[in-house]
Amino acid sequence: MFKKMIAKSMAKSPWIYHVNTGSCNGCDIELVAVLTPRYDAERFGFKLAGTPRHADIVVVSGPITSQSKERLIRTLEQVPEPKCVVSIGSCPRSCNVFKGSYSVEGPLEKYTHVDVSIAGCTPKPEAIIEGLYKAAEILAEKREAMNK
Amino acid sequence: MLDIIINTIKNAGFVLVFPGILFVSIAGLLLAGIDRKVLARMQKRKGPPILQPVYDFFKLMGKETIIPHEANKTAFLGAPIVGFVSLVVIMLFLPIAGFEAPFGIEGDLVIILYLLTIPAVALIIGGSASGSPFAGIGISREMVAMMAYELPLVIVLLSVAKVAGGDSLAFSLNTIIDAQAGGELFITKWQLIPAVLAMLLVIPAEVGTQPFDVAEAETEICEGPLVEYSGAPLAMFKLNTAIKMFIMTALFSVLFLGGINLGIEGWYGIVLNVVVLFAACAVLTILCMTLIHAICARLKIEHMFKFYWTVVTALAAISLILVWIF
Ligand code: SF4
Repeated sequence: MFKKMIAKSMAKSPWIYHVNTGSCNGCDIELVAVLTPRYDAERFGFKLAGTPRHADIVVVSGPITSQSKERLIRTLEQVPEPKCVVSIGSCPRSCNVFKGSYSVEGPLEKYTHVDVSIAGCTPKPEAIIEGLYKAAEILAEKREAMNK
Repeated sequence: MLDIIINTIKNAGFVLVFPGILFVSIAGLLLAGIDRKVLARMQKRKGPPILQPVYDFFKLMGKETIIPHEANKTAFLGAPIVGFVSLVVIMLFLPIAGFEAPFGIEGDLVIILYLLTIPAVALIIGGSASGSPFAGIGISREMVAMMAYELPLVIVLLSVAKVAGGDSLAFSLNTIIDAQAGGELFITKWQLIPAVLAMLLVIPAEVGTQPFDVAEAETEICEGPLVEYSGAPLAMFKLNTAIKMFIMTALFSVLFLGGINLGIEGWYGIVLNVVVLFAACAVLTILCMTLIHAICARLKIEHMFKFYWTVVTALAAISLILVWIF
């Protein structure tokens, strides 16, 4: 019963940790909009966590710059299992308009496994909520895989 | 021999089921859920389901527990359990809902006062054992916060003890409840009204909800003492906060509402009392935690300290003086 409760709760209370790896701030603002009363992601149990140790879903926005690369990898290592990585916007997918810059180190897939990628520049809050919800379901699957 | 066995089973029931671990965990988590739901409705949101803290608890139980390299393992993992145990012990001293406290003795008010500080001390020990600089800032703030709310709390308890004891001070919760039997609740005594207000302001600081969550400010110091916690110990700390919500509101109802006793005999009388007590706790939670949370931003630690040592202490002291004169 205890295990069942854990499996059920996994998808219902995903806590988000947001990493900005050099985004133009557009995606960050949309992520904040998702948590405001208008879109209210808290109704699915989403909560912004203050530290990567409390997080279930790591949300990455922006192309990976040389400055942020090392910090991103360190942050991802600090998140306890099971965890999900979600990328917001076109930047972590393809570097978008920043492609070719001397300070941009390439898309997020180069450094970690990305579970959900939300496209758009910037994606709509509705799209972000849907993407995060999918990530929460993947989280429950990952937990189940850990039991086996 | 049989007596001993029956007594052991009875005591185990007190500790494990009612009013111990099971009851207090469920009541605390439900109160925390009501708090979050009502807060969301106040902000015109739909809000999380009322069972959200339960989901949070079980989710954290299923996560990996990381122990940092610099941490002292024993203190790091032991601290949340120490806090939890002390909270359960408080429950065994509280004569709520017409139910005689299993541990009720003379002077239990003083014991509760001491036990109430232990969860905060556990947070300090756990934070300092984790070896993170954020935790260092958090525990120094937690200590200041403790000093801030402890003084008015003691004065409030003194005035209640004086009213209940008449000529002497009554430091027994049973005496306090007996003095309120027959409908003469302390909340209706005009001398105690400033003390009621002071107690209502002490509750959110003791529990550590916004705007008095200076020690755990997640937007500035990454949840302070909890910064390195993950998995099961973090779940314990979250549970402790939820239980504290219930215990502080239940303590309020013992001090000023006579512990909620409708005076109906039999087991259904107790069930009814518990339901009414829980409703009273929910109203108190909404009144003194959710409402303040919805309208205030987080205070700075020095503002909080000043507020508690001037306004709240003054309210409590006025009550103490009035009680002594009249
Ligand atoms: S995807 Fe667009 S809005 Fe988002 S960070 Fe990149 S450039 Fe900015």
